[in-house]
Amino acid sequence: MRADHIRIYKSVHTWTGIVSGMALFIAFYAGALTVFKEPIERWASPPAPAPAQQVPLDQVPQLIARTIGDHPAVARGFTIHVRENEGIPARMAWDVRDPGAGDHDESSKRHFAATLDASGAASVGEVHPSRLGAFIDVLHRVVGLPFDNDPGRWFMGVVSALYAVALISGVVVLLPSLVKDFFALRVGRNLKRMWLDAHNVVGIVSLPFHIVMALSAVVFAFHDQIYDLQDRLVHEGKWSSAFQRPQTSAAPPPPPRDVGTMLPPAELLARTREIAPGLAPTMLQYQQVAGPRAVVRVWGKDTSAISPRAMGGFVALDPYSGKVLDSDYLPGRQNVPNLFISSFFALHMASFGNAAVQWMYFVLGLAGAWLFYSGNLLWIESRRKSARNAGANPVQRLDTRLMASATVGICLGSVCGISLMLVAAKWLHGRVGDLTGCLQLVYYGMFFAGVAWAFMRGAARAGIHLLWTAAVVTAAIPLTSAIGWLVPQTGAWAHGSAATLGVDAVAAALAACFAWMARATARRARTGRPDSVWAIEAARQPAPAPGQALSLDPHAR
Amino acid sequence: MKHARPRPIRPDWIAKTLAGLVLGLTLALAASGILSVLTADVPLAVRGQLAMWIVPPIWLFTLGLVYFFESGLRAWLWLGGFNIVACGAWWALRAAAI
Repeated sequence: MRADHIRIYKSVHTWTGIVSGMALFIAFYAGALTVFKEPIERWASPPAPAPAQQVPLDQVPQLIARTIGDHPAVARGFTIHVRENEGIPARMAWDVRDPGAGDHDESSKRHFAATLDASGAASVGEVHPSRLGAFIDVLHRVVGLPFDNDPGRWFMGVVSALYAVALISGVVVLLPSLVKDFFALRVGRNLKRMWLDAHNVVGIVSLPFHIVMALSAVVFAFHDQIYDLQDRLVHEGKWSSAFQRPQTSAAPPPPPRDVGTMLPPAELLARTREIAPGLAPTMLQYQQVAGPRAVVRVWGKDTSAISPRAMGGFVALDPYSGKVLDSDYLPGRQNVPNLFISSFFALHMASFGNAAVQWMYFVLGLAGAWLFYSGNLLWIESRRKSARNAGANPVQRLDTRLMASATVGICLGSVCGISLMLVAAKWLHGRVGDLTGCLQLVYYGMFFAGVAWAFMRGAARAGIHLLWTAAVVTAAIPLTSAIGWLVPQTGAWAHGSAATLGVDAVAAALAACFAWMARATARRARTGRPDSVWAIEAARQPAPAPGQALSLDPHAR
Repeated sequence: MKHARPRPIRPDWIAKTLAGLVLGLTLALAASGILSVLTADVPLAVRGQLAMWIVPPIWLFTLGLVYFFESGLRAWLWLGGFNIVACGAWWALRAAAI
C-alpha cells in the first residue's frame, strides 16, 4: 500500500468519523441498554394494584370468549401472556393503533388489557405499560432523535453508512502497521499515542461486531427503498403484489366463528412442546380468530438456537385444530435460507444464546460508545497548539474548542438524560398525566442543558461537571429503589426479582465509574499540560503570571 | 513498463464519492439480481429478503474502497466496467434460466 493511499484514507476516516461519531455514541450507549430493555421496563413498572389479579391459564378460554363477546373488534388480534412478571399488566392484552400512524411507528399505540372479575364477567380497561425501555430503544434506533419515523430512520441510515466507511478506512489506515501496533498499548508520557493505541485495539478487536452493526443498521433504515427498487428491477413487480392485501371480494364475509371452540392455551402449548421441546413459551399471539384464516403464533425463546427476532421466534398454529401453519420462524427449525436471514437479525439484537451473550453485547456496546468518544478526542488532540516556550500558552483553535464542547455536551448530556429518565420514571409515576411524554421532556431537558452548559463553560469545566452529574443521577437509580423499599409511602417502589435488582446493581457500578472519570478529568484539568482544550483557564489567558491564573479561578485549585 | 516514479493518487473527492454511491448501488443491485436468479428455487418471500440483504454490503464496500483508484475518472471507468460485466452476467443467467 502506498503512502498516498494511507494519507487519503486518513482523511476519509477523520471526516466520516467526526461527522457520525457523536450520533453513534448515543446509538451505542442507548443500544447497550436496549439489550436489557425487558429488565429496565420491569424495573420501571409499578407494582400491580392487586397481585392476585392474573387469570389462571385454564380460565383463559372463558376470558377470551367473554371479552370478544363484549368487544368483537378484539378478535382481530390480541395476546395471551404465558409468563408472569412485573412488566406484564394482565393475562390478556391488545393494542389499538392510531389509523394515521406509519407501519413502523410503535409509539402511537394505545394498550388495553382484560381480566375476569369476581362474577366471571370480562373487565376491560386501558393500561399504561412502561414505555421507558421502548423510548431508550427509539433513541438507539434514530440516534437520539425523538421520533421513530421515516426521516429519523433515513438520518440514522446515513450515519450508519458513514460509520461503515469509517470502519473500512480505519482498517486501511491501520493495516500497514497492524502487526507492529496490534496490542501495543504504549502507556506513558505520550498521552495521544496511548489513546490512539487504545482506539486501535478496541476498534480491531470488536471489528466483526461493528461491521455487523453498520451493515444491518443500513438495512434497517433503507430496506423499504431497496425492496422498492428491487421489485421493479429484479422481481418484476411480483414482490409488491405478493404482499398486497387480498382484494375484498364482492361475496359477503363469512359469519364470525365461535371463538369458544378454539383449543385452550394449555393444549396449544402442549402441541408446541411436541414440535419444539427446547422452546420456552412467552406468549400466544392470536390474529383474526373469528375469520376463516385464524392463526395463533406461539412465541418463545430457545437459548440453544438462533432466534429470528429480538423477542425470540414462533410457530404458527391453527387455534381451532392445532395444525401447524408455519414453522419458518421457529428457532432451531429454520431452513438454511431463513436461518441466514435470521442470523443477521440475531447478530444485531443479541437474540441468540443465553445471558452471557447479552452481557457480551452490553460490554461491546459500551466499548463502541467509548470508541467514538476517543475518536473525537484524537481529532481534537491532532489539532492542538503546543506551547513553544514555558509560560506562554497559545490560544487553542476555535474549531477544536467547539468540537471539545460538542463532544462533552452531546455524549455526557445523553448519558445524564437516560439516567435521569429512569429515576423520573419512578418519581413521576402517578403524579403526572402523560408519563411517557414527561419522561421524554426530562431526557431532552437534561440533554440540551448538558449541551448548553458545555458550550457556555467550555469543555474542560463542563466535562467535570457533567461527569459528576452523571454519577449523581445514575447513583439515584438504586437509591430510588432503596427508598421505595424502605419508605413505600413516598410512592417509589422496589421489585425483588433478580432482573430488576440487576438494573440497580449495574446503575451503581456505572455511577462509580462516572465518579472515577470525573475525578480523573478534574485532575487532568488542574495538573495536566496547560496548552490544551482540557486545561482549565488555558485557552483564555494568553500569558498569565502563574500566581494570577490560580487566584482568578477557584476551580483551578 | 514501469514508471520511474508512480503518479500521485488524486483525491478527486466528489468524483470518487459519487462513483462509489451511484455505481456501487447499481453494482449491488445487479449482484442481487444474479443472486435472485441463482436462488430461483427458494420461495420469493425468502429469496427477496436475501437479495435485499446483499445490497448494503456490496454498496458500502464499493464506496469504502473507491478511494484506492488513481483518479475520479478511473473510478468511474473501472466501476462502470464492473457494472457492465455484472449486468451482462445477470442477463446471460436469466436467459439461460428461461
